[in-house]
Amino acid sequence: MIEVRGLTKRYGEVVAVDDLTFAVRPGEVTGFLGPNGAGKSTTLRMILGLDAATSGTATVSGLPYPAQPSPLKAVGALLDPSAVLPSRTAFHHLLALAAGNGIPRARVDEVLAEVGLEKVGRRRAGAYSLGMRQRLGIAAALLGDPPVLVFDEPLNGLDPEGIVWIRSLMRRMAAEGRAVLMSSHLMSEMELTADHLIVIGRGKLIADMPMKDFIAAHSEREVLVRTPQSEALRELLVTAVEVRDEDDDTLVVTGLEAAEIGALASMSGVELHELTPRRVSLEKAFMDLTSEAVEYRTESEKVTVR
Amino acid sequence: MRQPMKQPIVRSAAEPTRFPPVRRLRSVPRRGRARGEAATFAHCLHAEWIKIRTMRSTLYVLLGTLAFCAGLAALNGWSAGEEFAGMSPADQAVFDPLATSLRGYLIAQITLGLLGGLVITSEYGARTIVSTLVSVPHRGRVLASKAVVLVAVAFPTGLVVSLTGFLVGQAALSGAGAPHLALSDGTALRGVFGGGLYLALAGLFGLALGAVIRSTTATVTTLFGVMLIVQAFAPALPGGLGDWVSTYWPPIAGGQIITAYRDPDLLTPWAGLCVMAGCVAVMMGAAHAVFRKRDA
Repeated sequence: MIEVRGLTKRYGEVVAVDDLTFAVRPGEVTGFLGPNGAGKSTTLRMILGLDAATSGTATVSGLPYPAQPSPLKAVGALLDPSAVLPSRTAFHHLLALAAGNGIPRARVDEVLAEVGLEKVGRRRAGAYSLGMRQRLGIAAALLGDPPVLVFDEPLNGLDPEGIVWIRSLMRRMAAEGRAVLMSSHLMSEMELTADHLIVIGRGKLIADMPMKDFIAAHSEREVLVRTPQSEALRELLVTAVEVRDEDDDTLVVTGLEAAEIGALASMSGVELHELTPRRVSLEKAFMDLTSEAVEYRTESEKVTVR
Repeated sequence: MRQPMKQPIVRSAAEPTRFPPVRRLRSVPRRGRARGEAATFAHCLHAEWIKIRTMRSTLYVLLGTLAFCAGLAALNGWSAGEEFAGMSPADQAVFDPLATSLRGYLIAQITLGLLGGLVITSEYGARTIVSTLVSVPHRGRVLASKAVVLVAVAFPTGLVVSLTGFLVGQAALSGAGAPHLALSDGTALRGVFGGGLYLALAGLFGLALGAVIRSTTATVTTLFGVMLIVQAFAPALPGGLGDWVSTYWPPIAGGQIITAYRDPDLLTPWAGLCVMAGCVAVMMGAAHAVFRKRDA
């Protein structure tokens, strides 16, 4: 479990992380979401004791990271997959990390096998592709078999196969009872992976809620109805929030469930050809939520996002 | 295992999160965790040892240093030996067969300083400093371990380099019929052993610089400046400053350890080495302070 309380990081005048308070619970994948430059990485670096907080605290299983008796057994972290000395083999890279925490050598071979690098583990890491480095980074995170995992943008630059692999790995880790924190700037990635969402923008907490609640709260649901009797149907839908014509024979209804529309139509004998619930994409919900907090944006984007 | 879903919270950041009651995480049984042995300094030493021996530059630096110093000792010894007969009596009186054979330290201090620097600048260059500090967040422990393994490599290397330079150089001198020393000579032993110590200190000097500067290139440039350029320009500096630098500038003072001829104006060999050691100690202290405070 990670607990962050009042965490703040200031670089001179700039407040990169502004009084963040949240918790990452075991047994869940918690998505840490925010636009680029929102302060996600800085927050993770403070949790891991790499950057000093200006104020506030971050603890992992009750202890600040630097006070962990055996840090890799407390937290596994993937921060920067390209951070390997090119001339060193993956095996030795991991071996040195393991040695620093008294983790036995055999465990290095185990994690290499776990991430599918056992055949290339003795090769120079410099020859690795981005996907292989990402796997190596994951292997390092798994070395101490920790109850808490922190992944910073783990899906960046991965091919579809790699993305599926990391997703299923994170799901499995959470299912084993670990607390998994994963940052991303893409809502679409989160939707498929996370149980819980923490959204920040410009260093401030914007939302902290279960994923399904976020979806419920932020995706406006609408129902597409195709009917040859659109005028007749329109008169029935008095309780709808909004009914608009999309086509000659198609209405888009908000504020009513598909079942309700179907029931109304059937009672009045209105013929329906299609009744489809639709969701505004979460990506859009996320962008609306953070639109005021986006740090860098072009003029044209400003117009479209608002 | 999973918490019952809590009320959704959409809220301003000002409202505090309510934390669930603190429960001890009962995670899946996993081997090794139960014992939970704390990581120690010895573990960190082991990690740093693995890193220095799997850094490719280490071998290159060591072999290059050895080859250079042996080669220079042979050339120096041979040419000095040839010239000895033609020297004025005054020059012959201050002829220093020990320093002649150990002159390679001028370059070895740079290369071993570079090795010391690389021990940490390679981590900044490749950004592995992040995984190092995630593995061992105790920064003093990381820096101290780096220093220890560096000395464990640089001191024996320094000894071998000095000894090889001495043997090759003296053989060349004796071949040319000039005065030369035997290893059994006390002065010679001091020069060889002290030369090894000096080169180990040069390595630490580089480590301290590297920890502060973080860039390999800038560290090497600084090493050249501090260890060679100042030495080259010291005689050209105005009066008192020039004298002070020639006497107390740590690498110059420390370099006295390889001389057999005593210039009365300069520090004695061991006093000079102590100046260098003191300087390295201060720099390591500063490096520690910076390394501990700075965001990685």
